[in-house]
Amino acid sequence: MNCENYKSLIEDYVDGALDQKGVRDVTAHLDSCGACGRFREELVSEQRLYSRYDRGLEVSPALWSSIEARIKQDRATPASGLISRMRERMSGLVAVPRFSPAFAAALVVFAIGVTVAVMSFLNSSSRVSTVATNNPDTNHGDVQKAPTRAPSVPDKTSDAKLPVAPAPDNSKTVKVNRVAPRRNATSTATLTPAQLVREAEQKYVTAIAMLTRDVNKRRSQLDPMLLARFDSALSDIDKTIKDTRRVAHENPEDPIALQYLLAAYSKKVDVLREMTASTD
Amino acid sequence: MMGAVSLVGHSSARAGTLMNSSEELIARARRGEDEAFRLIFDRYARPIISFIYDMIGHRDLAEELTQETFVRAYKNLNALRDDTKLSTWLFGIAKNVARESLRYKHRDSDKIGIDDDRVIELRDGKLPPDRQLLDKELSGVIQHALGALDHDKRLVFTLKVFQQRSYEEIAEITGSSIPKLKTDLHRARAEMRRRIRPYLGVGYEL
Repeated sequence: MNCENYKSLIEDYVDGALDQKGVRDVTAHLDSCGACGRFREELVSEQRLYSRYDRGLEVSPALWSSIEARIKQDRATPASGLISRMRERMSGLVAVPRFSPAFAAALVVFAIGVTVAVMSFLNSSSRVSTVATNNPDTNHGDVQKAPTRAPSVPDKTSDAKLPVAPAPDNSKTVKVNRVAPRRNATSTATLTPAQLVREAEQKYVTAIAMLTRDVNKRRSQLDPMLLARFDSALSDIDKTIKDTRRVAHENPEDPIALQYLLAAYSKKVDVLREMTASTD
Repeated sequence: MMGAVSLVGHSSARAGTLMNSSEELIARARRGEDEAFRLIFDRYARPIISFIYDMIGHRDLAEELTQETFVRAYKNLNALRDDTKLSTWLFGIAKNVARESLRYKHRDSDKIGIDDDRVIELRDGKLPPDRQLLDKELSGVIQHALGALDHDKRLVFTLKVFQQRSYEEIAEITGSSIPKLKTDLHRARAEMRRRIRPYLGVGYEL
């Protein structure tokens, strides 16, 4: 090994980053090489200079105060019920990734698609169950009198704030029921909304497990900063899934709670897809 | 400019609890004990703000980004997988915050400017005789030299020389391999040496 190669080792020697064998090796070389000995002395002098480096920085009490204020602000949530808190969490989630306009658009489209599909299932299930139970022999005109929403669905003002699709068009809903009410009656009358959601949830869990395995294989290919942001987004989404699952469990017939749960799952799928796409 | 108070006014009780382990403080902070997170801040605020300042070269922005670092840390405490690596994790967050800021402000170059009026260009190798002035000037020269390093070299140099982190810790913070870190550090030292050489042997040899 020549002196140029020893220079890196001497830097580690001065830093105390060498193992015992390395120390013995470098010490022996320093004993026999004047140039490297001078290099070592120069490094020690540099360290002395760097130890005198004064940034003139102080940690002001105001710094903690500002951090504390932000933490408290972040923690503060309106005490207007679980749905409101979920709505806030979901709207925050939409803002979390901020990776690309295409990703945001995909998020919205996917969420709308899932929600419309599930709500359609929920609504048709609810309607058909009502028809099947209360009016087993009536004609299709009676369907229009059946409730098109579960009782717990808020008014239109509240619906407008949901993170996903607008409410389904009533005329289309009626038309669908007129076309195939009997088929729906046989295929979904036996499933409750909670069961339907459990099926959808199982599909999401399976998809997430597959995507997670794929992402884990590619983690090292991601930019560390981007990876940290993805992980942060996933962490937030996991918290939301946990919260929404609890609320959905407590309110198994509430379509809004179920809607939020599925929207949270769909967002996790999208973030994982985006992570995979970022390594392509 | 920030106030000249450093961890002043903290109660003796707080000083006593500074002996708490990081793991214990994290567990308490996760349970919602604000005082525990305050202790984490007390312990790491100075190295974090120094690190960020070295990375970005602006005092006020360094304070702002330190605030952002600790807020993110608080929000993501549950994402910390190994509680024994709190400081490495905090430096990782600080590195990300600083880099995001640099990307936003310095899109065209990864060199940074220094906002410090202490930066004095060397002229003809002549140094002021007064030691205090020399210290002030030296700090300005070091800052200026740091600012001239590219981002990767500045990162590893700051973490190794000023924050005295191990290569393994720096690798975790930066996501770089240890061989790359060693190469970057060797080159960073050479560049820094060239810029501070006039000060070597002038009033600093003890």
